[in-house]
Amino acid sequence: MKEYDVIIIGGGPAGLAAAISADKQGAKVLLIEREARLGGILKQCIHDGFGLVRFGEKLSGPEYVERFIHEFRERKIESELLTFVTEMKKADGSFMLTAVNRQGVQEYMAKALVLATGCRERTAKQVQIHGTRPAGVMTAGTAQHFVNLQGKMPAGRCVILGSGDIGLIMARRLTLEGARVLGVYEVKPEPSGLTRNIVQCLDDYQIPLHLSHTVTRVFGEGQLTAVEVAEVDEHMRPIESTKKKVACDSLILSVGLIPENEMAEKLGIRLDGHTKGPFCDNHFMTEITGTFSCGNALHVNDLVDYVSESGELAGAAAAKYAFDAVGVGSEARIKSEGNGSETGLKVEGNGDKFGKKAGECSGGSGRKNAELEIEVNSSLQYIVPQKLCLGSGEEMAVFYFRSRESVAKGTFVFTVDGKEVFTKKYRNLKPPEMERLELNLSLFQAAPGSRIEAAVRKEAGA
Amino acid sequence: MNVKSLQKKLGRRYGSAVSVRVAEGCIVVSGHLKRWEDIVTACSMCVDKKSGMHVVNDILLEGEKPASVRLPSLQDHALEGSRPDVLIIGGGISGVSIARELSKWKLDILLVDKEADLAVQASGRNDGEVHPGVDLNKGSLKQHYVLLGNKMYDRVCEELSVPFERCGQYVGFTDWWMYPAVWAYAWQRKHICKVTDTRMMSRKELAKREPNLNPAFKFAMFNPSAGCVCPYGLTIAYGENAVENGARISLNTGVLEMEVKEGKICSVQTNRGTIYPRIVINAAGVFAEDIARMAGDRFYSIHPRRGTNSILDKKAGPLVMGIASIKTLKKNTSHTKGGGILHTVHDNLLVGPNAVETPEKENYATHRSSIDAVFAKQKMTAEALSERDIITYFTGVRAATYEEDFIVEKGRKTRNLIHCGGIQSPGLTTAPAVALDIEKMAVEELKKEGAVEPNPAFNPVRKAPPVLNRLSNEERNRLIRENPDYGEIVCRCEEISRGEILDALKSPICVPTIDGIKKRVRPGMGRCQGGFCMPLVTKIISEFLEIPEEQVRKAGEGTEILLRDTKEIRKTGEAAEI
Repeated sequence: MKEYDVIIIGGGPAGLAAAISADKQGAKVLLIEREARLGGILKQCIHDGFGLVRFGEKLSGPEYVERFIHEFRERKIESELLTFVTEMKKADGSFMLTAVNRQGVQEYMAKALVLATGCRERTAKQVQIHGTRPAGVMTAGTAQHFVNLQGKMPAGRCVILGSGDIGLIMARRLTLEGARVLGVYEVKPEPSGLTRNIVQCLDDYQIPLHLSHTVTRVFGEGQLTAVEVAEVDEHMRPIESTKKKVACDSLILSVGLIPENEMAEKLGIRLDGHTKGPFCDNHFMTEITGTFSCGNALHVNDLVDYVSESGELAGAAAAKYAFDAVGVGSEARIKSEGNGSETGLKVEGNGDKFGKKAGECSGGSGRKNAELEIEVNSSLQYIVPQKLCLGSGEEMAVFYFRSRESVAKGTFVFTVDGKEVFTKKYRNLKPPEMERLELNLSLFQAAPGSRIEAAVRKEAGA
Repeated sequence: MNVKSLQKKLGRRYGSAVSVRVAEGCIVVSGHLKRWEDIVTACSMCVDKKSGMHVVNDILLEGEKPASVRLPSLQDHALEGSRPDVLIIGGGISGVSIARELSKWKLDILLVDKEADLAVQASGRNDGEVHPGVDLNKGSLKQHYVLLGNKMYDRVCEELSVPFERCGQYVGFTDWWMYPAVWAYAWQRKHICKVTDTRMMSRKELAKREPNLNPAFKFAMFNPSAGCVCPYGLTIAYGENAVENGARISLNTGVLEMEVKEGKICSVQTNRGTIYPRIVINAAGVFAEDIARMAGDRFYSIHPRRGTNSILDKKAGPLVMGIASIKTLKKNTSHTKGGGILHTVHDNLLVGPNAVETPEKENYATHRSSIDAVFAKQKMTAEALSERDIITYFTGVRAATYEEDFIVEKGRKTRNLIHCGGIQSPGLTTAPAVALDIEKMAVEELKKEGAVEPNPAFNPVRKAPPVLNRLSNEERNRLIRENPDYGEIVCRCEEISRGEILDALKSPICVPTIDGIKKRVRPGMGRCQGGFCMPLVTKIISEFLEIPEEQVRKAGEGTEILLRDTKEIRKTGEAAEI
């Protein structure tokens, strides 16, 4: 059995960044990817706009991820491609992984795990589209795979349901390939995708966007022949009198993404109902000690730059965690090639911190600290991380949050026991656009049992 | 039976619009009505089981042209002039199990189905329950065969290498005062109806076995012999074993007409040529009546009844480990238990089905109202049941006769015909037993014209390809080392390898479509519903068949998934616009 400090599951932008950053810390890293090539979903995202935040330039998806793949290879980090993890177990503070690939059934051991498993798309049936089961109904990601990776067109005259970014991107892509996109229908009163995508993918091509509309039914025995569309009321229920048929040969769905955490759930990791990703602390460690989450598995991002960032943070924290594990008597038998002492990261640890208890955390620093959950009120969809590991003094932490509704002028507020400790003013907060904050944790002068709250306050008159 | 009083009763309800008469040994109801439900009610009123006659419905539905049978557009002469000993019409569980049992004999067996695969209609659209038969009354064919069929399942599934689990059926009751009545019912079922495994279960034992069921259940009726099987998996397995033993199966083959002379079918016309069978077996499901009509032997009618089931994510699987339902006192007028929750052999949950009468035999559209109704009821069986776990849903159409019983008999007017009609729930359970009886009838009929020899090469055991994720790691490793394709996962949700997909393409009844592969080895059955693997499976099929990907189909004719290459703008251009 091969042993590693850190095993990363998933070779997309999050996993690659995690692997590189864990390697930088000196950890012995293995990255497991189920597909034949690294890059994850970015392989098929040939449009531009990636990397503006990180590199200050507009790259295509493959160009963006190639920079990481290049560094990954330069660093000679180990990877197993076309390898599928079938089982994960935690025993004696380390993780046993079973995977299959064309060579057989493989077993690996790691002190820390980074779950960078990405997300999947919601399907037609999950949004209650009824009727027959013809060919021609598929998710935007599937259509994108066909068009960009296989060079095949799945659509002639198409209707797109959902104004998520992939749907918008595909509206433009299919148009450029000679398909006729009849319209994009969005059940919500405002678009789900980024404003820049609405402008560049729909407006520039005169593709109509029908807000507060949905597809309720599909027709056709063999091939899709038409869809039924309807306006929806304020509860998003279709209004009977507005139903009409639109003839088309394909229905492309962009109705939301779901973080893939089935593996995490098997390990017993608790998920946040709002993000559908694991609850985690500011080191992106989940509630199962030694497992870290990042990228779209943690929460659905709209910019890949932040996916990479969370990967880097999780990877570094996982490496530090693994080194702590070496310092522990009974765990010391696990040899680490990337020895912590070389990088000066080795810190004292004690045996019992592996059994992480509520109110306790053990990411990175190795000291037992207070762990406090951040409460969000109804003004926010979520905040990640959901918990803070305080008491380690000066430490920077990154937060990602989404507002629940559009706010023209507002203030983001952190309070500790009712006292404001941080505020930031925003203009045009929108649910589809995730916001990022980087704060020094020393701001939170909290005692165990303190109440930390996050909220967006609307400015009067806004 | 008293036709006059029946006519009076009909008259009171429908005036002169409907009339009933006894003709050629059938209770023929004719006239015209505006609503389909009324037609079903009128015909049901005329049922007289004691007479041995069946209701034949000749009432016209006003203002609506009956939907015609969907037939394949394929036209060739592949079957022209063939002279099988036995022609089986219908590739559902009935047809294929009969084909397999008949393949024990040295006979030329030909099974035809108009669809592009087996189990496309009712056999692929049900919940897969192997019923104990506790809800059936003594005296019906259904009840007779369900007892026999249920007992045969262990052997049949072992021979055919199909997963089968006797997970048990629980019917929960919320009122203590019902206990004596249910106890008496259970006693009667056990001792009189011979559903010998029936027993009462205490609340405590129920809670121990199925902790997530409604805590208000005071007691339950339990049948440990109830089980579940993958219905299309079993149908395909039966078909494959029949083919391995020499039977022929011709898909995309629709029966168009028959030539009947002096009570004997001389020839059967299909879109693939005219067939001259010695005997014909009618296992055409919802179309059994239409086939009977062609054969000049229409003595029963089918009234289609659709039902919708939801499939839940495996994550919800542990909620119910067996088959559970609730029994309330609300009068149940539809001919079904009102659905339940079933833990499948693949660890999903199935929730449903409901029951709605419909004139449409092949309309598989789903409706939100069906799902809502089923969930409203089944949340009383298990509170934690959630629509959020639905990954997909499907509709099936039951082929019910007005007597709500099977027709398993030789033709009444046509000699070389055997009917296996009116097969609805528990038709999957009964199929192995019904097939044995039909085998006997067919052999008996054929023996009249000469000896029928046993097939010495008959092997009841189907050699099934491996299911990798069900194997131990050691075994899995060994197989991957022999064939690395078994180590390359294509479908991540169901963990299906390229090797398994290729096995399906090389199987005895190769159906190289996305749905054909999905039914055989399950890529696309999981929570992403093929979002990730469908393009990959398309590619594997195109490589295997050496055809362009544009020619790969989802299912039958006209279901190609791709139109053309990119960068190849259609020549028709704007002409395609409205």
